[in-house]
Amino acid sequence: MLNVLLANLPLLLKGAVVTLYLSAASAALAAVIGVAVALLQLYGDPVTRAATHVYLYVMRGVPLLVLLFAMYYMLPYTGIDVGATAGGIIVIALYFGAFMAEVFRAAILSVPRGQWDAARALGMYGRLLMLIVVVPQALRIAGPPFVNTCIMLVKGTSLVSIVGLWEVTMAGRQIVERTLAPFQVFGGVAAVYFVICYCLSRYGRWLEKRVSYVH
Amino acid sequence: MVAVRGVSKWFGAHQVLKDVSLDVAAGEVVAVIGPSGSGKTTLLRCVNLLEDFQQGEIRVDGEAVGYAGAGAARRRLPERVIARTRSQVGMVFQSFNLFPHMTVLKNVMVAPVRVKKMPEAEARASAVRLLERVGLADKLDAYPARLSGGQQQRVAIARALAMQPKVILLDEITSALDPELVGEVLAVIRQLARDGMTMMIVTHEMQFAREVAQKVVFMDGGAMIEQGPPRALFADPRTERLQTFLKRFREGYQL
Ligand SMILES: Nc1ncnc2c1ncn2[C@@H]1O[C@H](COP(=O)(O)OP(=O)(O)OP(=O)(O)O)[C@@H](O)[C@H]1O
Ligand SMILES: [Mg+2]
Repeated sequence: MLNVLLANLPLLLKGAVVTLYLSAASAALAAVIGVAVALLQLYGDPVTRAATHVYLYVMRGVPLLVLLFAMYYMLPYTGIDVGATAGGIIVIALYFGAFMAEVFRAAILSVPRGQWDAARALGMYGRLLMLIVVVPQALRIAGPPFVNTCIMLVKGTSLVSIVGLWEVTMAGRQIVERTLAPFQVFGGVAAVYFVICYCLSRYGRWLEKRVSYVH
Repeated sequence: MVAVRGVSKWFGAHQVLKDVSLDVAAGEVVAVIGPSGSGKTTLLRCVNLLEDFQQGEIRVDGEAVGYAGAGAARRRLPERVIARTRSQVGMVFQSFNLFPHMTVLKNVMVAPVRVKKMPEAEARASAVRLLERVGLADKLDAYPARLSGGQQQRVAIARALAMQPKVILLDEITSALDPELVGEVLAVIRQLARDGMTMMIVTHEMQFAREVAQKVVFMDGGAMIEQGPPRALFADPRTERLQTFLKRFREGYQL
């Protein structure tokens, strides 16, 4: 029964490593996009604000799979070629970056007015005020919902297998084709995602506890 | 030290300050009293430009706050210049507004180090001294959430003092405190007054205003109605509005 799984475990684990890599890379990129878009939304000029608005609504209104299809089937016609892996990472980052932008925007807005007042009254302004007073508090607030978005992102990476990228879901599909044992194999694939997301969840919980300012 | 000249401010169509003028001399304590919504907080926040104002002029130690030029040529000064002015004007808020992610010591040190570029060791020594002065020498490494309201407010006072401000603005700093904690905060302010600190104090504690202030300013409906030495003002209010306010206040007090 479990022999199939054991025999193919190295391949599955190799896929898991690729999934981890895809997730980490696109989460990091998504976080950068999220912070940038959030800041542009809040403090940008009208033009960048409008542009980021369009971006947010497109990303929220179009399924990730459709974006991936668009990338893989349409981009070659434009002559842009970033390679399949990088393309997948960019699409996932763009998609979840929109959600992270909302997380960071909400976090910055939830830093109480009085904190800004106090910082300004002490002579802080601009970047110093953001860096010393607003960002540290916003990051604490953003922590748990950020981790949550990362969990969605990890699961989202499974979609790239549909457009031909090799990672753990794709590895599973290949093993099933060979072994005809879908239950065991996809059970193993599911376990990989579950373990990653479970660890993230626990980390999120731990962060949540640390968010309170009682030390 | 502070000169307010003909300041008017609108929130949209609603005028909240009407041609307000007043002076705070160096070393003087001025108490601002008046009913809720009379514009006391707004006036204080104009002095360090936490609020914009549309007309008039405010000077701190001779320097114009926030704006240059008059009439059509009036323009807001750059943020850098405004920030410099603010760094010379301390403010203590009703809700403390300590930085929750910093220890007590860090709260007091951070502005001198980052804004004034004071050497870290010097800032630390001065912060410790100030915290001793407000009776919190044993709380240096505590986070604000661990402190009582009265302790938090005393840290906030030390934080304002750390910038060596020319004047301190205090906005109902005991209103959010449990009654038994009011005394410890007022004691600190009393001591500051004796040390010759220039202060503008918005307060509902009439007894305190009478005792600590050299001048009391009564505001109502956004306008400065009456001002004078506390004894005269409380004993012999000239305007009907102040009479009504004091009467209502005494009745409220006795209830
Ligand atoms: N941000 C704001 N936007 C619009 N109106 C405001 C704003 N802040 C204050 N006001 C209005 O300005 C007026 C003066 O308010 P202010 O807070 O200065 O009064 P106050 O004398 O400090 O009152 P209190 O004793 O209740 O603190 C009030 O009518 C208030 O509703
Ligand atoms: Mg007020």
